[in-house]
Amino acid sequence: MDVWSQLLGGFATAATPINLLWAFMGCALGTAIGVLPGLGPAVTVAMLLPITAQVEPTASMIFFAGIYYGAMYGGSTTSILLNTPGETGTMVTALEGFKMAKSGRAGAALATSAIGSFVAGTIATVLVTLFAPFVAEHAVKLGPPEYFMIMLLAFTTVSAVLGKSTLRGITALFVGLAIGLVGLDQITAQVRYTGGVPEFMDGIEVVLIAVGLFAVGECLYTALYEGRSVKQMNRMGSVHMTRSEWKRSWPAWLRGTALGFPFGTIPAGGSEIPTFLSYGVERKLSKHPEEFGTTGAIEGVAGPEAANNAAVTATLVPLLTLGIPTSVTAAILLSALQNYGINAGPQLFQTSSTLVWALIASLYIGNVMLLVLNLPLVGLWVKLLKIPRPPLYAGILIFATIGVYGMRQSAFDLFLMLGVGLAGVLMRRFDFPTAPVIVGMILGPLAEAQMRNALSIGEGKWGVFVERPMSAALLAVVVAVLVVPRLMALRRGRALQP
Amino acid sequence: MAESSAAQRHQTFIGAGALLLGALLALGARNISSEAGYAGVGPNFLPWVVATVLLVCGAWLIWEARTGGWRQLEAPSGAAQGNWVALAWVSAGIAANAALITTAGFILSCTLCFMLAVRGLRGSEGKPHGGVRGLVIDFVTGFLIAAPAFWLFTQVLGINLPGLTGSGWL
Repeated sequence: MDVWSQLLGGFATAATPINLLWAFMGCALGTAIGVLPGLGPAVTVAMLLPITAQVEPTASMIFFAGIYYGAMYGGSTTSILLNTPGETGTMVTALEGFKMAKSGRAGAALATSAIGSFVAGTIATVLVTLFAPFVAEHAVKLGPPEYFMIMLLAFTTVSAVLGKSTLRGITALFVGLAIGLVGLDQITAQVRYTGGVPEFMDGIEVVLIAVGLFAVGECLYTALYEGRSVKQMNRMGSVHMTRSEWKRSWPAWLRGTALGFPFGTIPAGGSEIPTFLSYGVERKLSKHPEEFGTTGAIEGVAGPEAANNAAVTATLVPLLTLGIPTSVTAAILLSALQNYGINAGPQLFQTSSTLVWALIASLYIGNVMLLVLNLPLVGLWVKLLKIPRPPLYAGILIFATIGVYGMRQSAFDLFLMLGVGLAGVLMRRFDFPTAPVIVGMILGPLAEAQMRNALSIGEGKWGVFVERPMSAALLAVVVAVLVVPRLMALRRGRALQP
Repeated sequence: MAESSAAQRHQTFIGAGALLLGALLALGARNISSEAGYAGVGPNFLPWVVATVLLVCGAWLIWEARTGGWRQLEAPSGAAQGNWVALAWVSAGIAANAALITTAGFILSCTLCFMLAVRGLRGSEGKPHGGVRGLVIDFVTGFLIAAPAFWLFTQVLGINLPGLTGSGWL
């Protein structure tokens, strides 16, 4: 069957009233948490993981995906008006967007980011539609050695390349791997690191770690250190763009999409790198370089916003076709699928094709919903920024409780959540990245199983990883990712010396 | 100088924490079977790798801390001195919630958690807690968040949360 008839089938599933309702709730909730400081898409999806016990998979995946990209729309609003990026992916938007808002052009900045997000999200969804089945078809040929190498690549990029310090990144990754070790070994059912506590037999829930590190950690950190930090808010203007602003935005949206999509599909940590790249490109190509960093240039908002949304949509390609998450939220979506006993991977397009195509169709629908939610209704969301911090963060704790307790009905987990939250405060204070912990704990057990299966294929010889061309090539990429930046830094260091 | 050496001391503690975690994992790994089957490596392989890497990272963190402090460190956001009283209030809220949720029920327990946390957070901003009137307002606010959330998640989404009564409404 060809792609378009599959997609049509997907629309038929996604457009049922109940699924439309889920998509709408996801988009609305996503926008809200994107706007609100202190909550991101990853932790929101994590808090809502308990619903996987009741809600059917297609509906909940549509809901979660709506939260994921809705947060990207909402995050830009906060970046522009408050100069505090709601999400890491909208950090760059704050650079020019806040400047634009300061010089009275908040409306234009909000418009270009919402429309740019829509354009990029829709183009990226078309690319996912065309691209994902193709990748899935070829991914069937990958064996355990190749999978292990792809996962190794994901580990390397998330820990060693993205953060400022490789050492602290790797420490965080291995703490995550250690958490993933607790419970039953997947292959031999050997019990590991439970310390005799029966609660640990099933392993440690992702919800617990994600909510502890992000939501509780954030709340505790705010109480401890951020009490006196004051934020200034920009005034909002009317949301529209002039002709010349449209003309300047278009090419930036397209360039941003072209940059963002490929980065989302590879394990390079989501949307940070492409947004920064897009910002750099726009700054270089702009006919109005004098506006950058002074009054705010619209290209500097349009490009990164498009890149951000294209990258987020593109993360679905490796997630659905390979079962490899390339961002923290994608990792949590993967664990949502695991809760249903669905193995993401090339077979998913055969075994759960209804779910996959309904999910892809819902992206088209969701983008339209988000455009409506974020353009005419933007004033509504801005009101959320008026909520004072104390009740907001204390309220987040209530939802954290629902997520953690709702997963396993264990009060013991709530004590653990406090412990993880305190650890999160330390990690933030001492500049440890948190993403590797989550990726490590979710991907760790999968990577271990692939590695041991690969070694079984190779009859216990490690040579299996270099004898197969694809696996050897991936290994070379892993080594290059680790070594090349260091060599370049070394050369630059030498060149500076006389 | 005194300030940077205090920071270095803290960094050494964190490094020691990683070292300790590595050591505990190594201790636990000794009891995991090495039965390998065809793979050549058994269920104890990854535990040993993780333990070793954490030991190395811990030692390295300590070494960096002792030789001029951690490299490529970004200054943390917020105040230089922590508001420990505020942290204690919020932590107490979470701990009280964990201790009471099964007996007092989700709504009341979370309302208490909200009241304690909001008091801590307000204190960290240097604002007064508002006396009895403030307590009543916090109670009502917390209740108005916790109760609808409870009803939504238990009645509509079918998630199991503990109630004080069996009625499903409190």
